[in-house]
Order: sequence, then C-alpha cells, then structure tokens
Amino acid sequence: MEHAIELRDVRKTFGANVAVNAVSLAVPRGAVYGVIGPSGAGKTTCIRMIMSILFPDSGSLSVLGRASALEAKDRIGYLPEERGVYRKMRVGAFLTYLAQLKGVSRDTAAARVPDLLERVGLRGTERTPCDELSKGMLQRVQFVGAILHQPELLILDEPFSGLDPVSVRLLREEVQRAHARGATILLSTHIMAYAEEMCDHVFMIHEGRKVLDQPMAGMRRQFDPRRLLFEPLRADADVAGIAAMPDVSTVEAAAGGYTITLVEGAEPSLAVARIAALVPPARIEIARLRLEDVFIRIVAGGGGLDEAAAALRNRLQSDAAQEARV
Amino acid sequence: MSPKKVALVAGREFMAAVTNKGFVIGLLIMPVMFGVIFALMPRLMTSNSTIVRGDVAVVDPTGRVAPVLRETITPDAIRARRDRNMARALNATGVSGDVSARTRALARAVGAEFRLVERPPDVDLAAEKRWLTAPASDGQRPLALVVVKGDAVEPSASGGSYGSYDLFVPPNTDERVENELRDALREAIVSARLAARQISAAAVAVMTVVEAQPSVTVGDVERQTSTGFNQAVPFVFVGLLVFGVMIGAQTLMTSTVEEKSSRVIEVLLSAVSPLELMAGKVLGQMVVSLLVLALYVGSGVLMLSSFAMLGLLDPWLIVYLVIFFLITYFLFASVFGAIGAAVNEMREAQALVTPVMLVLMLPWLLVAPVARDPNTTMAIALSFIPPVNTLAMMIRMASTSPPPMWQVWTTIGVGLAAACFTTWMAAKIFRVGLLMYGKPPNFATLLRWARAS
Repeated sequence: MEHAIELRDVRKTFGANVAVNAVSLAVPRGAVYGVIGPSGAGKTTCIRMIMSILFPDSGSLSVLGRASALEAKDRIGYLPEERGVYRKMRVGAFLTYLAQLKGVSRDTAAARVPDLLERVGLRGTERTPCDELSKGMLQRVQFVGAILHQPELLILDEPFSGLDPVSVRLLREEVQRAHARGATILLSTHIMAYAEEMCDHVFMIHEGRKVLDQPMAGMRRQFDPRRLLFEPLRADADVAGIAAMPDVSTVEAAAGGYTITLVEGAEPSLAVARIAALVPPARIEIARLRLEDVFIRIVAGGGGLDEAAAALRNRLQSDAAQEARV
Repeated sequence: MSPKKVALVAGREFMAAVTNKGFVIGLLIMPVMFGVIFALMPRLMTSNSTIVRGDVAVVDPTGRVAPVLRETITPDAIRARRDRNMARALNATGVSGDVSARTRALARAVGAEFRLVERPPDVDLAAEKRWLTAPASDGQRPLALVVVKGDAVEPSASGGSYGSYDLFVPPNTDERVENELRDALREAIVSARLAARQISAAAVAVMTVVEAQPSVTVGDVERQTSTGFNQAVPFVFVGLLVFGVMIGAQTLMTSTVEEKSSRVIEVLLSAVSPLELMAGKVLGQMVVSLLVLALYVGSGVLMLSSFAMLGLLDPWLIVYLVIFFLITYFLFASVFGAIGAAVNEMREAQALVTPVMLVLMLPWLLVAPVARDPNTTMAIALSFIPPVNTLAMMIRMASTSPPPMWQVWTTIGVGLAAACFTTWMAAKIFRVGLLMYGKPPNFATLLRWARAS
C-alpha cells in the first residue's frame, strides 16, 4: 500500500548546524506514528519539511502520494508547534476561515465549529474574540482548526505541550476519533509517555539522525525491560534471597521498594511467582516498557549508565519537568 | 496559485482592516463629518441663534451721518451688505455660477437689532462712557457709543483728508457686532460724503463693480480655470496618491508583522503558499485603499459640486489618479509587505521603513516647483524614474500645463515594470522571511534572501 508520508534520505542544514541528517521515514496509511526525541532533536524541522514549509537540502519526500504537501494541503491537518491566532478575530470566524482556506465551504465549516468546540471543552466560545481566551484554550482552538476539514493526514507538532490533564484527555479522544475515521496521524512529542500510550509506531530522532523506527508491539518484544518493581509486605523483609535467585541479576533499593533486574532470557511471569513465594509482596509488577529507557539504551549504545546516557536522561527529565511547569 | 485562496485571504485582510475601530474613526467618520457640516452649516448659520439687541448711541456734530446710519443699520440693510461682501470675496477667488444662496448660508451671521439713540453734540463723553457699562434696562442694553468726527463728511481744509469716527464699546463685545457697526458706519459716512457733493450713491455703487471672470485655458478642450483652485489641485492629487498608498502599504506591513509575531503564519502556510498569502494580502489592502480614495474623491467632488466648481476639475485626472495609485501601490505595498515578513516585531520594522517613507515623502518637496514649472528637465526626468515617477507625473498632470501623452504612457510603462520587479523581489523575501525569527535583518540581508531563493 502507498505510504501517507515518505522521506528518503532527507537532509536539512541551517548554516553550519545540521538539523536533519539522512533521515528516511515511511508512514503507512492509517497509522498513528510518533516522532519522539528531546527538544532540539530535529522533530519540528522534519515536520516542517513534510509540510513543505521548509525544503530539504537533499533527499526527496512524498506526502499522500504527491511530491510535496503543497499539492495536498487541503487533505492535511496541521497543528504547528508555534501556536498563533488572529487576536482580534472571533473564534468561530477564525476557524471557519482556516477551514475555507482548506477548501471546505463556509456553511459546512460553520456548521461543524460549535460541535467540535464543545468536544474540546470550549462550548459557546464561537463569538469570543481570540485574545480573550487563555493560552490553553487557544491551543485547543488551534487543534480544532487542524481537524475541522477532516483531513486524511493529521500532523500534530507537540499537541499536548502546556495543556492541563483534562484538555490532554479531550484532545487524545479527538485524535483517536480521527484515527477511527481512517486518518493517518503523525505526532511529535518529547514526552515519551504520551507516545507510549497513543502510538502504534514510533520514530526516534536524536541530533538530526534517526535512531529508531519500529512498531510499538515489536519494540515491546525487542526492548523487553526485564525489570520488576517489588514492594515487600513488611518493610524489614530480607531481600538477599531474591538477589541469590538464578533468574535475578540485580536488586536495587528504589523509592518505596526495590527494582529487580532479571537476567537475559528469564521469563518475567515465572520470576514474579517465584519472588512472591519467597518474600510476601505488597506489590509486584513487571515494569512497563518506557520509551525513555529504550531511547537512552539506543543512544548510549546499550550500556545504560555511562555519562552520555545519564546526561540524556537528565535532559529528557528536565524537558518533562519544564513541561509540567507550563 | 489558487485564485479562490487568494480571494479568501484578500477578503479577510479587507474585513480585518475595515472593521478596525481606528480605521472607521479615522477614515469613514471624516468624510461623513464633512458631509454633516456641509449639510447642517447653512441651517446653523441662518438660524440666527444669537440675536443681539441693544442701543447704539451716536454723537454726530455734522448732523448728516446719523440719519443715514439709521437706514444702514436696519437688519435688512445688514443682510444685504453681507451678501454683497461675500459675493465680492468669492468672485475674487474665481468661483462662478449662482453663489448667492450658498454665500448667504456660509456668512458668519449674527442677528442684530440695533436701536439708534442720537445724543446732542455737546454731550458729556465721560458720562456716556459710564452709560456703556451700566446694566441693561427694559431688555435693551448699551452696545456701543459712536462719536462722529466733525470733518467726517467734509474735510476741514479744501483738499484735506476726511475725518472718521471713534467707536466705544463695553467689555466683551462680540467682534461681529463691532464689524457690523463699522460696515454700517462706513456706508453711512460714504453716503453722506457723496450726498454733500451731490453724487448719486446708487450710481457709484453700480460704477465701481467690475465682475472678475474666470480665465479660460485654451487647449484641445477649453475649460475654465481658477488660479487658487489650480494651485491646490497638484497638492490634493499627489496627497491623495501618497495617502492612499501609505494607508494600504502600512496596514499590509502591520498585519504581516502581526501574523508573524502571533505565529499564526505557520498555520496559514499549511493552507496557502507564501505567494498566495502575499497576493491575497496585497489585493485586500488595495481594495481598502481604493475604498478610502473613493470616499475622499467622492466627498471632494460633492464639495466642488456644491460650490458649483465641478467644471474646474478634469475628470480624467481621477482616472489617472487610480492608474497611478495602482502602480505606486503595488510597488510600495510589496516592499512594505516584504519588510513586514522579514522582521519579528513592529519596532524592528521602523529602521527598514524609514528610508522607504522618505521616498514617499519626497513629492511634498517636489510638488511646488514641479507644479509651477511642469516641463523643466528635472520634472520630466523625475517622471521617468521609479519610484517617484508616478508621483511626479501626477503633479505634472494636475498642473495647468499637462505633459504630452507619450510622456504619460512612458511613466505608466516604467512604473509597471518597476512594480513587477519589486513585487517579484518582495515575493522572494516574503517567502524566506516569513519563518525567519531572530536577529532583525537589514537591507543587505533582505537582498541576500532575494538572491538566494
């Protein structure tokens, strides 16, 4: 099947800075594709090239079967990282204008606006001038602008940054709705948890280079974390026995309990049963795959704890912390 | 390029501009105000809202001025004199046609009902002056004291000069009352002097009138000219041209900067190409400027026709105004648009805009010399050099000796070429600049962008 987006060996430089280097990417139709990486990795540059707002120095790309997004603009919905509205315009008029630019008739657009605004928690704001809305509200208005014309391809650059949890949930529902309608979705985020929950495929970029491009399902197998979170029933329980088990590689004290790493090839479910039999647990669970860990393992070459990986982890965490403050 | 998208962008641009409160107040209200003033003024003026009633005391040792003055200060005489004066003043400026109805309306009228009180020649002046400041009684208040000089009607020595009069008034007297009195006194004294020499006042009045006729400019079409009007026309037309261009180009720049600084630009670019965006914006603002010009030209034409002066204006000038406006607008609008796209905020735009503004201000220096001598080498050369060519040509065409047609067509041709070139360059800068944030660019940067893309 023809791909919704294809990048072939794309490169883009800004002066001496190589923003995107030899990146190839194929997004199948109907996929929910996550572009992840720390801020400054090249995500937005990639997306802008896909949107034909920037043009690659070398390499080629196709979008919805066309050589450039310019020829398919009306079938693409785009939420840029830099949000902006006409401050003096009313919300309804602004959204209708955007949809008209995308080839939707004025009446159709105007009819869809109230319903969509309600679905993102902005009921009755059609007549409100944009500059009277808060930043988070405007972001939701812009999101509506990206989906109002029911695009075949939805490109969202950091769609959840700066939003409160309720708004994030509303927007995620809309993304899922668009996906259910058959739209292909490409979203970038530096918050790995969102990608883990929403995407069926992730594409990781680091310093302009592709470092991973895999379906989530395959990744769960490949990057089996072999980690258990264990909290003994009694705080003074002796865990030395666990460390001595053949399946177990290390036991480290963590907040409120222990992180148990299994040896390669160990079956986590069996290990859980054995550990529970040895020390009565208050809680024992197989750690979920964390993209952050995968990312760090790939970038740092699998070692896990050398300096580069530590620095990268810090950077990812500070990105996320910054996000939480917004 | 999709014409539909261009039209949508233009429509939004137009609506955003004309629904802006400042625009409405600044541009729509002004012609409306003129209209209201011209409609209401005559009524306000003729309603005689202030009627001044009062006594005018006259000390007349000659005994010949007071009786005539009694005739010349009646309300009817005052009104008749006012009409004559206004007609004479307008005649001097070259206004033709039936103006009496208008002039009466426009005269700064004050209703006055004077009661003449004669005092004996040997009256005590000090006491009379005290009377002036005394409070009013039975609705009549003292308005003025006139002391006619003894030699006002016949000079004391033969061949000597005539005497005049002294006028005393209470504090805070309306100057219009004083002026009416002076006019009435002048008429009365002149009548008395003529009567003393047995000359008919009516005959003199008729003999001293020579009606000034508007001159007629001889050419392909003979048309009336009027010096005052002719001097104003080049100023007005080049003013309209510059004003129209500035309105459109500046709003275009402001709205581009706003789109960029509010970051709405990236959403727009996901729907339209930079060229479509620029074309839409330029066309939208063009319609705004044309609307403004139509309002101003329209109200100007209305004003002229209300003074029966419409015949003085060559309608082709308005056609050329529109043609030159379009050429000049495209040239400047594309430059302003490119600057708007290149900068991050309005403050940075100022440095780049100032030189462009100076070029646009140049015509104010040119208008007087070029309008006076429209066919000097400098004037001809200027009308072929963009970007001032259209402005210089507008001045020349509005002057009393318009240039030959081949020069007009050359100006239009050169102007079109310049506008196309600038628009082409600006489109490149526009495309590169829209997504450039950071260090504010200078002209060198802009040129590099234009070359690079």
